[in-house]
Amino acid sequence: MNFFVPFCIPFIVGAVAMFITLAWKWGLWLYRLPRADKKRIVCGLPTRATLDAAGEVVCESLLHRRIFRVNPLLGYMHMSLAFGWFLLIAVGWAETIAYVGFRWVPLQGHVFFRYFATGLPHKPVFAFIMDLLLLFVLSGVALAWGKRFFSKRMGMRRTTRHVLGDRIALSALWFIFPARLIAESTTCALYEGGGFLTGTIGAWMGEHISTMTLLTLESVAWWFYSSCLGIFFVALPFSRYMHIFTEIPLIFLRRYRLRSDEKESSYDRFQVDACSRCGICIDPCQLQSVLGVDNVQSVYFLRDRRYGMLRAEVADNCLLCGRCAQRCPVQIDLNTLRINSRDRLHNIPAERRYDYLKGVDRSSGTGKVGYFAGCMTLLTPRTLVAMERIFHAAGEEVWWADRDGSVCCGRPLKLAGETDAACKMREYNTELFRKHGITTLVTSCPICLKVFREDYALDGIEVLHHSQYIFRLIQSGRLAIERGAGQFTYHDPCELGRGSGIYDEPRAVIEAIGLLLEPVDTRENALCCGSSVANTAITDGQQLQIARSVTAELEATGAGTIVTACPLCKKALGRGAVHAEVRDLSEIVADAVSK
Amino acid sequence: MKRVIIIGGGPAGMQTALCLVRRGIEPVIVECENELGGKLRNWHVLFPTFTPASDVLTELRRKVRENRIGVHLSTSVETFTDRQATLSDGRVLTCDAVVVATGFTLFDARIKEEYGYGIYDKVITSADLERLFNEGRVVQAAGEHPRRIAFLHCVGSRDEKVCQQHCSRVCCVTGVKQAIEMRRLFPEADVFNFYMDIRMFGPGYEELYREAQQRYGIHFVRGRISEAAPTHDNRLQIKAEDTLTGRPLRMSVDLLVLLVGMRANDQNAAWAADNGLNQAPSGFLQPKDLFLGNVRSGVEGIFYAGTVTAPKTIGETVNEATAAADAVADYLTTKA
Amino acid sequence: MAAIHFGYTISKPRAIDLDRNNLRKSDEILREMPELQTCIGCGSCTAVCTAGNLTEFNFRKVHTLVRRGEYQGAYEEMNKCMLCGKCRLVCPRGINTRGVVLLIKRKLGDF
Repeated sequence: MNFFVPFCIPFIVGAVAMFITLAWKWGLWLYRLPRADKKRIVCGLPTRATLDAAGEVVCESLLHRRIFRVNPLLGYMHMSLAFGWFLLIAVGWAETIAYVGFRWVPLQGHVFFRYFATGLPHKPVFAFIMDLLLLFVLSGVALAWGKRFFSKRMGMRRTTRHVLGDRIALSALWFIFPARLIAESTTCALYEGGGFLTGTIGAWMGEHISTMTLLTLESVAWWFYSSCLGIFFVALPFSRYMHIFTEIPLIFLRRYRLRSDEKESSYDRFQVDACSRCGICIDPCQLQSVLGVDNVQSVYFLRDRRYGMLRAEVADNCLLCGRCAQRCPVQIDLNTLRINSRDRLHNIPAERRYDYLKGVDRSSGTGKVGYFAGCMTLLTPRTLVAMERIFHAAGEEVWWADRDGSVCCGRPLKLAGETDAACKMREYNTELFRKHGITTLVTSCPICLKVFREDYALDGIEVLHHSQYIFRLIQSGRLAIERGAGQFTYHDPCELGRGSGIYDEPRAVIEAIGLLLEPVDTRENALCCGSSVANTAITDGQQLQIARSVTAELEATGAGTIVTACPLCKKALGRGAVHAEVRDLSEIVADAVSK
Repeated sequence: MKRVIIIGGGPAGMQTALCLVRRGIEPVIVECENELGGKLRNWHVLFPTFTPASDVLTELRRKVRENRIGVHLSTSVETFTDRQATLSDGRVLTCDAVVVATGFTLFDARIKEEYGYGIYDKVITSADLERLFNEGRVVQAAGEHPRRIAFLHCVGSRDEKVCQQHCSRVCCVTGVKQAIEMRRLFPEADVFNFYMDIRMFGPGYEELYREAQQRYGIHFVRGRISEAAPTHDNRLQIKAEDTLTGRPLRMSVDLLVLLVGMRANDQNAAWAADNGLNQAPSGFLQPKDLFLGNVRSGVEGIFYAGTVTAPKTIGETVNEATAAADAVADYLTTKA
Repeated sequence: MAAIHFGYTISKPRAIDLDRNNLRKSDEILREMPELQTCIGCGSCTAVCTAGNLTEFNFRKVHTLVRRGEYQGAYEEMNKCMLCGKCRLVCPRGINTRGVVLLIKRKLGDF
């Protein structure tokens, strides 16, 4: 049996071009990985991680479990296209074997098998299954069309605006399956066979269309189908559909513990190209929902970065609140990618910039517990006073690192892309902490907390946010609290909640003091106060707009007091609040300490 | 007889009522507090002449009493139109016109947390200081022998961080006046005024400023205080930039007085929405125009008097109240 | 060039000469960040400044000089900033001070 006809050429060319491009890209990215990352892969290969990764590939790349969780309809759309197409290929393979036995069949032989199999006896079971699968995929295509035109009904307020390459690939993809349906149906019309879908349409065509026309139509339809495939395959590595294949190695690499860091690395390419531009990140973005800024969201950031057209205006205009990363179905580390893009755009050498830090030490007091208020906390002295009362009530000897002002933790510099400069702050503060021999470091600022926990080498020093510290004091009975009738609502600071995973301790502390009322968006979904130091692009007025929208939601709980655990959030929410009082967690604790 | 409801029984409300009576119109004052006088009740002396506030207040109250003007105390207006007002006790008063003379709200200095008001007892507001003078308790707050007293101008004025962009006008001269008073009370103490701009717009104000500098030796430092923190000896350390030398400045003081600004009443928004009145971006009610219609609201039968439209001095407020009564009388005559 | 030494040297003029200063860069900066022009010089930013309390760094002075076309040394000065953001939190005019630091550094990196 000969498995070649001229209309196969577009498909063959496309497929070959795609596989060469893919191999080239992946090879290059893997080759360019830092040595340490390569070692991680080699060490990880023979472990359980490989199996877990394979499982995750099935769940995510084929079934799209995570999209299902965010939006079932969207999940079905992605699943029908990915899993449906995969099954078409897999079952198609089995069908070929069933017809011609175990012998080598070229790729196009499998793909266009219906065309080649006209002379062979029918196998209605396969015809039925293949038609069912085609219907499954077609339902996904229909939804994709629907999403373009009626995005709101699909549960998405906004969908992604695409680049030209995407549009070509997208159009080709939309036509592939309808083209296949028509091509197979025409063949069925001429040679009979087919299942409930292609067979029925074929029979109808056979009745109504003359054989001569059908012959022409068959040729045209198969050419069209093959061309759509070819165009799609050629465009794929340069379009968003690159994610189909890139997500697979990404899942493996992630399981082998590769991570993005403050400097760009080759691993980032896998993350960047794994973005399917589904646009799920657009809706949670408050810059979009409150301010109407609609060209900076992660999907656009990744798109611009991928095509080398990233501008500082886009990279810098992000609160790094992590609401998008939290929903990303591919779990791309969006914040880190944004940070290392900023590093590339803004980092400047910092050998001599902070020479003036030499010998500076403004700390006071002595104790095994160090308290680092953080720059911003110095502007919210109520927190400082409250912490002092709490330390006193618990009988804690405290070393005050920065009561009289000190050196920044370095996270703001890092978030702005000046990573080398941030390193200098780290060196300074680490040395200061070591010098005073503390074993616990308490901070009231989640921004400081995150950098202390993640970027400082503080072995032997336990780093705690004041919410965690207070929680421990209460639990261990060192701090006696009197429960009152107050009603509180809690605002999760981004760096504390999504950033550091601390949700329960502040809530437990509040519940020890009064009634906790949760706002609509809470915990992992909590809104950002808008004053994040990570954003150097939006204006004061825009920050205020966001703050107002957030406080409106918090005040809607009916609580008289909005509690937060970050000086920056406190300042921001204080500006937006209309009725409610905005207080730091430590303040309400200090007020509730038993006399 | 035509009846006019005056919302607010401060200097503006009282003066409007007095002028209306003289024109044969019946005014009714609705005051939410339990006595007439508004914010002036807590004031000690008035700039630039150091006239006791009680002189002005007593005179106005006496005339109101003598003219048997109808006054509803401890009553607030819930809603109103040009023809009637619904009071908090449920009564509905009918009328032929309404004068809104509800004044302003003092800025809550606790919002500027970094200044430490409400945290450290060495931080007080200008309004607190007037009250302390009235009660004769300034020494209690400042200590027997304060060495240094600092005044900070523009607290809650010209500050976008607390959504108050406007200038409250009177704080500059109040700061100078209070600095002099403190210096008179504590001749040994150094008094520092931290300012951004000194706006001496009224008659005798500039002279007062000069006197403060020359005769009382008050120090004027151009810079906004950024933080206040307690010291070990129970004083306050304040930080600012001495912008004229371009260097950071820190000093310890025994008392920090925050010159709090005038903020628009929260009520304004709802009333503006009910009656189609205009609200300025600052939140104050916007008069028809600033030249020939500055006591008119732009809505028939609704007039303004005093600081409900913008920060003003007592003198300006009283003058404006006279103008408001005049405009009301005009309106009622043409309508009849 | 070997100059004859007359016993005195010509030093940089004391005055900010707005006839001679090239304000092109300054205009560019103000175009991108018009709010910088609203500074009332209250000095809050400098007073709270983490870096300014440890070394001679005066944000208000540097950006004012830049607006007058005096660019010399501005980049180096701004590099002392730790971007901690306290200034942005206190600015009564709501100026995006951190943005200003980054912008001046970007525009004046070659001065």
